[in-house]
Amino acid sequence: MNESLAVRREAGRIDFRFRGVAGVWLRHYTAFKGGWMIEMTGILLEPVFILAAVAFGIGKLVGEVELGDGGVKYAVFVAPGIIVGNAMWHALFECSWGAFRRLQTNRIYDSILAAPVSMRELALGEITWGATRALMTTAAVLAFATAAGLVESPWAIGILAIGVLTGFMFGGFGLIAAAIAPTTHMLTLVFTMVGTPLFFFSGTFFPIGTLPGWAQPFAWALPLTHPVRIARALATGDLHLGLLWSLLYLVVASLVFYPIATHLLRRRLLV
Amino acid sequence: MVRAAGLVKKFGGITAVDGISFEVRRGETFGMLGPNGAGKTSTLRMMSGLSPVTAGELEIDGIDATANPRSVRDVIGVVSQHDGLDPDISVRDNLTVYGFYFGLNRETAGRRADEVLEFFDLKTRGGDSVDDLSGGMRRRLSIARAFVSRPRLVILDEPTTGLDPASRNRVWEQLAVLKKSGVTVVMSTHYMEEAAILCDRLIIMDEGRVLGAGSPDELIRARAGAEVAQVRPDDGQRDNVQRQLIEAGHDMSEIGAIFVVRGSNGQRADLSNISGARVSYRAANLEDVFLTLTGRGLRDE
Repeated sequence: MNESLAVRREAGRIDFRFRGVAGVWLRHYTAFKGGWMIEMTGILLEPVFILAAVAFGIGKLVGEVELGDGGVKYAVFVAPGIIVGNAMWHALFECSWGAFRRLQTNRIYDSILAAPVSMRELALGEITWGATRALMTTAAVLAFATAAGLVESPWAIGILAIGVLTGFMFGGFGLIAAAIAPTTHMLTLVFTMVGTPLFFFSGTFFPIGTLPGWAQPFAWALPLTHPVRIARALATGDLHLGLLWSLLYLVVASLVFYPIATHLLRRRLLV
Repeated sequence: MVRAAGLVKKFGGITAVDGISFEVRRGETFGMLGPNGAGKTSTLRMMSGLSPVTAGELEIDGIDATANPRSVRDVIGVVSQHDGLDPDISVRDNLTVYGFYFGLNRETAGRRADEVLEFFDLKTRGGDSVDDLSGGMRRRLSIARAFVSRPRLVILDEPTTGLDPASRNRVWEQLAVLKKSGVTVVMSTHYMEEAAILCDRLIIMDEGRVLGAGSPDELIRARAGAEVAQVRPDDGQRDNVQRQLIEAGHDMSEIGAIFVVRGSNGQRADLSNISGARVSYRAANLEDVFLTLTGRGLRDE
């Protein structure tokens, strides 16, 4: 039998087809296009409400926040946090709740995997779509923040890239959650136990330095802390080399989450 | 087209498929008939590259499926029991998007989608949501989807389970037409009528093993004879009738309240001496074959 030959052939090359990833991405794009008016409304309005309430409402009470050498208006401080925080929510939601629906409720993954799409490609297609959603919300809220005068530097355009990376990181994380969650109740826990604390304690709404001393290292370890830090530096033009550590964190976390998600999905589906 | 030898599937300590061997010829419709838990779905999932082969050989269209499951998926179409249709996109998009998974471009995928919509009589429903389709239409759409990639082999796992009789007939008609187009089909079923109508050849499976193989006619002739007798005991006569049948040395099984008696040497059983029961004869079918092989009916749970 030609088995040994076939095994060698399979092992000799990395079996990865970009078109598999593209197929999954196009499926999401097709679904999105069908309801884009409603989707876009959600993408735009929610962060805009938060931004308006926090920046202009609470901002009036807070005044200025110390940042770098000087101080900035609270609204300017908080805008990048809300932009990136929303990127996180969208990627997380798409790749955990959305992925779980496709995986368990509608069993679409079974159909996709019965076509010549590998698990690695399926997972990357999911995460890439999560990052696409993150990019959409980042662009929309960034545009609003710019129009509202909350962006002080042209470097802020780089926040789009940070939004995408945030999407990749939390897309991978969300997919891990979807792969191990037995029920949707467990996924709800991901939002309340992970999403919410990250959204509030990652230097999004107040500087990490205001936390008690013991809590600060924890805040620095949080994944959302790093894209928020970079986005804020880009929005205010306060760039420095130390930000590269945060960038490294983002890239490494994305590269770690993705293969873990692939592995867990394989274990769940390909039995 | 398909060659399986000593194929085994284990889940933990449970053996779902216990060393089965069979061959499927190019262009034929091949059936796997057996009750739930016979190992049919596990076998089809291994053939579809969705489930790793535990042991044995499996070759599909010249490809070693144990080592190259993805190359197999390039050339086959799969219809699973649960339709796995995509409720977030329209009926037609379910087909075009499936083409994308195979790497078809937008134009080709769209053209193929329209072709199969036409063939499966779903043309008017292209813009509808999958959720608005009836069960029969959903099944037809999931079969249609398997044809978007123009597969050489189509794998159908219980294509009519859960459908009402009218929808089932409709699916049968369409599968019969597809058969004429020359595509090779492997299907599982626990409906003996379905196997008898559609399959050129089939294997009968139970508890992970193959109990018999051949064309429906061959199997019936060899295992059940041309005709079987149905003996329906009168009230309170069951034990009496059973004793008479045993004493006469008949080859028989009991299903529900009826004794099914097989003949021998191609002759129907002579039951003129049996008293206390109504006797009638009917043509033997695959259910009788299964009964002969296992002592149980196909639908015993």
